[in-house]
Amino acid sequence: MVERIRREFRKRDLCYLGALLLLPLIWPDPHLHHLLVLAGIYAILALGLSLFLGYAGQISLGHAAFFGIGAYTTAILTTRYSVPTFVAFWASAATAAVIAYLIGRPILKLKGYFLALATLGFGEIFLVMVRESRSLTGGVSGIFGIPWFSLAGFSFDTYLKQYYLIWGVLLGLLLFAKNLVRSKVGRASLAVATSEDAASTVGIKVAQVKVGVFVVSAAFAGFAGSLFACVMSTASPEAFGLSLSILIVMMVIVGGMGNLYGPIVAAIFLTWLLDILGGYQEYSLPIYGVILILLLIFFPEGIGTRLGIRLMYLISYRGRKKKREEVQL
Amino acid sequence: MPLLAVKKVVKDYEGVRALNGVSLQVEKGVIKGLIGPNGAGKSTMFHLISGMEKPTSGNIAFRGVDIAGKEPHEISGLGMGRTFQTVQTWGNMTAVENVMVGMHRKLIGGILSCGLWLPWIKREEKEVLREAFGMLEFLGLSAKWKWPAFQLSYGEQKILEIGRALATGPELILLDEPAAGLTPQEVQALAEKIQQIRERGTTIFVVEHHMGMVMEIADEIAVLNHGELIAEGRPEAIRDDPRVIRAYLKGTVYA
Repeated sequence: MVERIRREFRKRDLCYLGALLLLPLIWPDPHLHHLLVLAGIYAILALGLSLFLGYAGQISLGHAAFFGIGAYTTAILTTRYSVPTFVAFWASAATAAVIAYLIGRPILKLKGYFLALATLGFGEIFLVMVRESRSLTGGVSGIFGIPWFSLAGFSFDTYLKQYYLIWGVLLGLLLFAKNLVRSKVGRASLAVATSEDAASTVGIKVAQVKVGVFVVSAAFAGFAGSLFACVMSTASPEAFGLSLSILIVMMVIVGGMGNLYGPIVAAIFLTWLLDILGGYQEYSLPIYGVILILLLIFFPEGIGTRLGIRLMYLISYRGRKKKREEVQL
Repeated sequence: MPLLAVKKVVKDYEGVRALNGVSLQVEKGVIKGLIGPNGAGKSTMFHLISGMEKPTSGNIAFRGVDIAGKEPHEISGLGMGRTFQTVQTWGNMTAVENVMVGMHRKLIGGILSCGLWLPWIKREEKEVLREAFGMLEFLGLSAKWKWPAFQLSYGEQKILEIGRALATGPELILLDEPAAGLTPQEVQALAEKIQQIRERGTTIFVVEHHMGMVMEIADEIAVLNHGELIAEGRPEAIRDDPRVIRAYLKGTVYA
């Protein structure tokens, strides 16, 4: 039975992959391509935070800062030092990871609300530093003229090419995250999230697990930031504020805690929602808020989880018994 | 040298003295019981030994190493496992994964190698899965290996918690009221299981309210009352000890 479900899931994954490859070709609308590019970038962010929030059970309200660190690293390296974008891409993730390690060591001793406030403070400090160190970051106006992402002479200069680039990166990171989740790191994260006492008595170094997952999730944000800088060709502070941090947290919660596909689905959905609501001007935010509240009322476990369970019911007539198994596969 | 030696341990909680200069020892290979009325300080003693709390004074030596003030994960690394009075299994993981968490320290993979799922990580994971399944077989839970822990019965979760502690490969395992909340049949099965665990070479230190079980399995019993050790010895001797009877009778009168 389990084997059959596994096969079904593999088939399902292939279908998704095919749909992703063909989607922009079937629908050759530049606006849609641009939206999908943005959604992909947000999905990378949400995927990274999902490891920290959904698995390790820790809150971060400063994740936009790591996104910003990634974007500025790429912006500064490419425009000032003419570093190739591909190198800057890795450097961005590394910078975000190192900074996450340095601030994670002290602040991850905090829990719950205190951790939320500390990360929020980190996000604000990052913004102030970016605005004030004008010589390096260009201050409020930011950095312009960041080159397109290019690899071995091939430049990703249209939305369509960027779409494949970003969703390719997302796919790679998704595989990385999936492996992480099914390994000892994922088990230790879930253990720490549920009971730190019990985790420490089986020999898990709680602080180390938290910092490790925090660093990974910051590196994901660094990758996303680097891609964002290349796609937008600018980096300016207002893109990396608290509202983005909260948006990422929303994506993880709407997508479902302890689930990797959910936050990706939620990232696409919320990006699309924000885009169509943009036409309603001053009513857009209230409508957005109401939709989020409805989602949380009717899908408290996240849209990803519920959709997964529905599929399990269809695939397996014994779904009732095994409804939680989907998470384990 | 005893496996565990607690010497003159004092623990104060803001004006309340939970333990007042208690000394006791656990020899290698025995099943030792720790009993006493509610509030006698039994759980406090376990928290101190497993490193979850620090003693106010006194010292605790495990395998000759002073562990008072060490972190729980360090003490676990020295070869001590424990369970909790209220079960603390990880409900969102399967039974076998709960046991695999106990083998965390045996796995040497880091974040990068795990994320890339390198061939040796794959082998390592397979090995640990097999070992964890073996543990569930020993505990009689192998049929439910893929069940999420929250769907197991309370008794099964208590057994699973013991399995998780055993998975760390401990010399000494602390069981905090393993029989609480179990049916009489389950208690009987548990008693047999605990004896089998001892036969596998693990020393057991157990806090228990279920007198029948403690008397049956323990080689030696220590009795705490109001934070002081009032008796220590073989089960028969403890049963007839007037101080123990008085402590328990008082407990029942007020209860």
